This record gives sequence, C-alpha cells and structure tokens, in this order.
Amino acid sequence: MSRFESGMESMIDMYIYETTSLLEQLDEIMMRTETNNEFGEEDINEIFRIMHTIKGSSAMMGLENMSVLAHRIEDMFFIIREENPVIDEKKTLFQLIFDSSDLLKAEIDMLQDDDSEPTDFSDQITKIEKFVEYLKKCVNGEGGAAPAAEGEAAEAAPEAADEAKPAEAAQPEGSSGFCKVRVYFEDNCEMENLRALIIVNKIKEYCTELKTVPDNIENDPSTAKDIIDNGFLIMFKSHVDDYKVVLSEIEGAVNVKSYEIEEEPSELAAPATEKAAEPAAEAPKPAAAAPTVEAPAVEASKPAAAPAPKPQPTASQTNEQINKKIAQQKNAGGHANKGKQSLISVNLNKLDQLQDMVGEIVISEAMVTSNPDLKGLKLDNFQKAARELRKLTDELQDIVMSVRMVPLSGVFNKMTRIVRDMKVKLNKDVDLVFEGEETEVDKSVIDNLNDPIMHMVRNSVDHGIEATAEERIAAGKPAKGTVTLAAYSSSGEVIIVVSDDGGGIDCQRVLEKARENGLLTKPEEEYTEKEIFNMVMLPGFSTNKEVTEYSGRGVGMDVVRQGIEKIGGTVSVDSKAGEGTNFIIKIPLSLAIIDGIEVSVGKSIFTIPTNAIKKFIKLKKNQLLHDTSHKEIIKDGNKLYPLIRLNQYYGIQDSLDNVYEGVVVLVESDGRYACILVDELIGEQQVVVKPFSPMFNRYNIKQQGMAGCTILGDGSITIILEIGSIIENNG
Amino acid sequence: MANESAYQATKNEFNTNGGQILLYYIDDVLYGIEIQYINEIISVMPITVVPRVPEFIKGVINIRGKVVPVISVRNKINKPEIPYNDRTSIIIVEIEDLTVGLIVDSVREMAEVLPTDTCSAPDYKMVNENQYIKSIIDSGGEIKQLLDIHKLILE
Repeated sequence: MSRFESGMESMIDMYIYETTSLLEQLDEIMMRTETNNEFGEEDINEIFRIMHTIKGSSAMMGLENMSVLAHRIEDMFFIIREENPVIDEKKTLFQLIFDSSDLLKAEIDMLQDDDSEPTDFSDQITKIEKFVEYLKKCVNGEGGAAPAAEGEAAEAAPEAADEAKPAEAAQPEGSSGFCKVRVYFEDNCEMENLRALIIVNKIKEYCTELKTVPDNIENDPSTAKDIIDNGFLIMFKSHVDDYKVVLSEIEGAVNVKSYEIEEEPSELAAPATEKAAEPAAEAPKPAAAAPTVEAPAVEASKPAAAPAPKPQPTASQTNEQINKKIAQQKNAGGHANKGKQSLISVNLNKLDQLQDMVGEIVISEAMVTSNPDLKGLKLDNFQKAARELRKLTDELQDIVMSVRMVPLSGVFNKMTRIVRDMKVKLNKDVDLVFEGEETEVDKSVIDNLNDPIMHMVRNSVDHGIEATAEERIAAGKPAKGTVTLAAYSSSGEVIIVVSDDGGGIDCQRVLEKARENGLLTKPEEEYTEKEIFNMVMLPGFSTNKEVTEYSGRGVGMDVVRQGIEKIGGTVSVDSKAGEGTNFIIKIPLSLAIIDGIEVSVGKSIFTIPTNAIKKFIKLKKNQLLHDTSHKEIIKDGNKLYPLIRLNQYYGIQDSLDNVYEGVVVLVESDGRYACILVDELIGEQQVVVKPFSPMFNRYNIKQQGMAGCTILGDGSITIILEIGSIIENNG
Repeated sequence: MANESAYQATKNEFNTNGGQILLYYIDDVLYGIEIQYINEIISVMPITVVPRVPEFIKGVINIRGKVVPVISVRNKINKPEIPYNDRTSIIIVEIEDLTVGLIVDSVREMAEVLPTDTCSAPDYKMVNENQYIKSIIDSGGEIKQLLDIHKLILE
C-alpha cells in the first residue's frame, strides 16, 4: 500500500480492525447517551479513551489527518470531562461526534484502497473548534465569572489543543514542587519520541501532574532529534508514595540508557496540592452553589497569574477526586490487560481454511469407515478404532464451528445508528427494539447479513411506519413507531425477524404496481396473499411513489433476497393491514456441516437433517386414517400428523406406495409436525452442505424443500431436505 | 448493465474476428460453442435428479467435489430426449461465475472459424426456436450453428 511506509503493511490489518471496532464502540456510546440526553462520567472517559487510542495509533501509522481530528475530539472531551459544562446545544455535539465518526470510518474504508488520498478534515475540525469555543463560554457563563474571563477563554480556545503550554505558562518551571527527570535513550534506538511516549503513558497514572519537554512527542517525529540531543525532560508531581514507583518505571523502561534527577520533589508536593484546593473549596463566590465552581474559583485564588488554567485544573481538585481518577484509570488498564491475555484475533482466511480442511476430513472419514471393500467383513478392532475416530472428528468439528460463531449483536447495533439518522432526516419517531441479539451465527453468515438487514430496517422505518404520528394515532396506535429486530435459533436455523407496527402491505397496490411493471405471470385473482407479499422482493419492485434518500428505487428488497439466498437462507414476508409487516429471514446456523439421515425414495437418495427428525415409525394397521377431504393422516399414540408422500411431492417414479412397507419419518420444524413417507433408511452420516448453484435460485428451490446438496463418501450427490418448507407446502 | 454490454461486445467480436469453437452433435446437426467458455469435457456420469425444476435441468453432478448443474441442450432446442450412450458427453462451461454442464450427443473437434465464414442469425419478429442461434458458420462444406450459451444458460 503506497500510503504506508514499508514495514507498516503488517500492521495495517490490525490498525483497521482496532480502529473500526473502537469507532463502533463510540457509536454505541453515543447512541446510548443521546437516548438519555446526558453524558455519564464513564461515557465521557470512554469516549476520551477511544479518541486517545485512535489519535495515537493513527499517528503511528502516519495518518496525520485522522490523528488530528481524533485529537481535536479528545480535546473537546477533555474540556467536557474536566469542566463539566452545562451544554444546551447537546444536539450539535451529538451530530458533531456522529459526523466525525462517519468521516473516520470513511477514511478507514479508503485506506484499503491503494491510491486514495488522505481526506481533508479541516471543515470538521473548524466545526469542532467552534464548538470548543462555545463550550468554554458555557463553562465561564455557568461559573458566573467576570466577562473578561470569557474573552480569555475564547482566546485560549485555539490553543486548547496544546494542553501543556498554558499550564507551563501558569506555573513557571522549578517553582512548584515538580520533580524533574531527564531521560536519555540508548544510541540509535530510533523513534525516540515514541519511546518517550511509552514512558509517559506508563507513569501517567501515578502522577497528578505531568509535563514533558519537548511536549508534542506524540505527533511530531522531529522531536526525536531534540530528545537525542538534550534528553527527554519529564516534570511530574505525584504523591509521595508514588514517587518511587514513577522512578522505577522510568528506570525499567525499554531502551533507556540513563536518567538523572534534576530536581527532587519538595516534601511539600502533596500538601501543596491540598493547599491549592482549599481556597477553591472555600471561595465565597456569588455562584458558589454550582458544583462546577472549581475552575473559576482557582482563577480567583490566583488572579492575573493564570490566564487559562482550564486545561490543567488538577491543582484545584481535591485529593479525593484525584484518587478516584487514579483508581478509574487503573481499573481501565487492568481491564484492557485482561482482554489481551485471553483473546487473539485471527485472520478469517485461516479459519476458512481450517474449516474446509475439517470438512474434507469428515468426508474422508466416511470414505474410510464405510468403504465398500469392508462390506461383509467382521472387523471388531477396526470398528472400535473407527468409532474413536468418528468421536474425535465430531469434537474437532464442534470446536471449529464454535470458534467461528459470532453473536448477532454487532450487526444489530449498527442498525441503531441507521435508525437514528433516519429518524432525524425523515422526522419520524421510531424506536428500535432488539430481541435475542446474543444469538450466535457463523462468521461467514454474519458478514453477509449486514446489507440485507440494513435494507430491511431502512425499508421498515421508511415505508413500514406511517408517515406521520397523526396517522398512527388515528389508527389507534402509539405515536411512536416500533421496529423490532428479533433473532432466535430453531432446529439448526437462525431466524431473524424484522418487524414494524406500521400500516402493513397494501395488497391492491402491490398488484397494481406488479401489473404496471409487467411482473405478473398468471391471472391476478389466482395470486394468494402470500404470493403478493413476496412480490415485494422481486427485482425492480417498489410500491413507493416517490424515491426517497433511503429507499424506493426498487432495488432494496431484491438485494435482500439475493444476499440472503447467497448464504443459503430464505426470506419471506408476512403482513397484516393496519398492524404491520414482518420480514422473516431464515439462515442456516452454519453453512458447513450437519448431521443427516440418508433415506431413499425410488432411485433418489435424500438427506434429512437429524435435528428435524423426531422419530421413525413402522406403521401398524389402523395407524393410517383419512380426514374428510381424503387427506392422509398418521395416528401415533394419541396424536395425529399429516402424511406427506415424498414420491408424490417430488414426482419420483418406481417407489413404494404402500405405507406399511415403507418407513414413516416424523419430522418437526418451527413447532409444526408432519410425517414423511420414504422407501428405506440408508444410514446416518455427517455431511458437508454444498449450496445449490445460483442457477437454481430463480426456481425457488429452497421453498420447494431443498436446502442444498451434499457429496457422500462414494462421490454421489444427495439433496438435503428443508423440512420447514416441505411442511409448509403440504399443509 | 455492465454484463449485458460486455456480452454484446463478445458477441460482435466473434462475428468480426472469428475464433476457435468446439463442434458437437445433436442428432446429426453440427453445433458450436466458443472455446473461452469451456472448462473441460467429460463423458456422461450418474446425474442426481433435482425435483421441481424445469425439465431441461437434468440434475447435478459431482465434479471433483463441486456440485454442478447439468442442462440438456437437446431439451433446450426442443428435440426429444434419447437414452445416453458412451458417446454422450458433458461440456463443462463457465459463464459469469456459473459452472454448468451441457449434455450433448457427442463432441467432434475444435475448429478455427474465420470471420468471413460467419453469418449472423436472421431477425425474426416472432420468438421461436432460433432464439439460441448466435451465428451460422459455413466452412468446409458444412453448416455449423453457433449457439448463444448466455441465452441457453441464463434465460
């Protein structure tokens, strides 16, 4: 990649992965805070931390534009965290962060393209700076400070990026109980500024105040030279207890050649902090009742000497606050460490390879253990060893599958963001509700779910929910619409339902539209309601009269269907006029391997997924009954089930017609039961599911009860039955 | 659509530039298929029937672990089915990421087609059997019909 220096390539993947997940986390927090319309202390810290990490890693990758943008946001949250201003313009703030997050995401997408140029974020940065100014005003206005202070704050705003500088100005070197340590790095260890940064990060949590010379080590590689020439000067204040810890951290840091203590801390270091805090707490200012009085109060205690003390107001904090902060940071650090120890990220390609390999092993295991050469031989030891082998391959498979399972919550959470944006743009009030987002699905399935679900959610918000709240109230529904994303697993499948409580699909309009677009293939009156609903997903179909930003071009639902079919799933629509619409996606839990029972019907062999089979019944007399419309019913115990003759359903010749000679398989899907008549049971086998060629898609083969194919040990192909559709189509 | 125009381009390209085609028989009529689509030619093998699909799709076969659908060219051009024999072949073609087998009576040889030998299909107003003919090739005293495999497979 030309945008990166050589040697960085190996880190790009990691960087993109990390930054993307951080941004997702950011979105999540923002969604939550926006709903509550306030920032919790933890949220602010979290956002601060996210931006800090992005800033650092972007700088490391040489992506200056991203680093600067992240830095500005970090600065902004620094003010929010430290000053706790009362913000009236929360909306602007939220929008600002969302926009920035989008910009960063877009930039990351672009990174994957070789020739892309870094985007210019200066517009966004200007916006943020403006808001920072506004924040400053909020702080001062709230504290009831003199009007002069306001001007100062505005002046200081552009400098806010540079945290250290104003503080330095406020407290001349050497006069404030700082401990000064000058660190020298080993010769030629390179990237001195980053090494210095590592030290700073390490000791940060032990210090109440920390300054360095040069100060801009993180973003300015040229400081490296300065560090080589003059050493790296760290000035810090800390509690007496922590002082030694800091020194030992510096001593133990990598590549540190030597360090010298230029100035010991006066024993007063800690008490001094307290003293500074005292007047602050006591300061009898007019607006002293406000909890955020600290900053202006300090100004009062140090008149004129402190033009802009905001960025470093630590001195005004009580020890209690400081301790709390330290504890928090320690906690955060500990948490991160824990994560690192037990998780690794693996390239998906490697997992795919592993899975393919396991699939092959399963097939060859079947080839060996049910080899035709073994027929008729009595091989006790072989059979024993074969059983052991099967047990191990089973376990191996389970592990590989579980490794690849990912909860759906990631996909779902992305939707909150989309719904939020649409709410603003379309001016609709819609709630997005999740159910069962912890349901796990194979990673390869998840990757293909994003787009379809996004289209469906968009569709539900845009078309599903009524255009105005008045319409809803008139229909006797709450003014706020609800879109529900629900997921649950059922017999080897994951079912995702996107439902809205809107107006439902208007059959007449769908038919009209289909006629206009020439999509009808039979006389209108022959279409069932279900067929009409499913027309919504035909290519080029849109009932919406106008094309909106979000949908209406008639591509959406078609894309959904293709996307879902690609991963071996099905989509169906269900709707009730006035009550809402459900889109039901059924996807296989995993695309890979299932347990199946082979059955024969005439010359054809089918595989029935074991998890759908309840039992096999060899019929006795009087178990076959007929209902009034002469449909066949099987009586098993005191329960009755419809009988489906597979040979009739699939038009297979030369098979048994006598139910008493064949085998009846009791199957279940989604709580519905049926009996399937087959000629013979052949055997049980684990099979690797191979999806049908896309050529079959247009024949709706899934709805005909065929889920895919599989190749048996002898190389022949069988068709895997999709029990749900078979039951559906027969009763 | 991008595919459509690319396809038109290849269609015209053949008529202007010629190229190599594989000749095969249905009954005693010679047909051709452009070489760039062909993956391999295999003799007929057991076919797993897929129910509830149009009759021209004969089912699926296993080609080295890949499940490939097979189409009867006979059925497509409205000729009655005949039993398979040892001359029956399956031409495995790949087109727009689809791998499909075409069942033909027998294959003969590769042939070089010169642009001067080709004549494009007649323009019928009505849709009829000729809908799959892309071009007629008249060379060496024989008539060969080049079938449009895009239409054959994708429509």
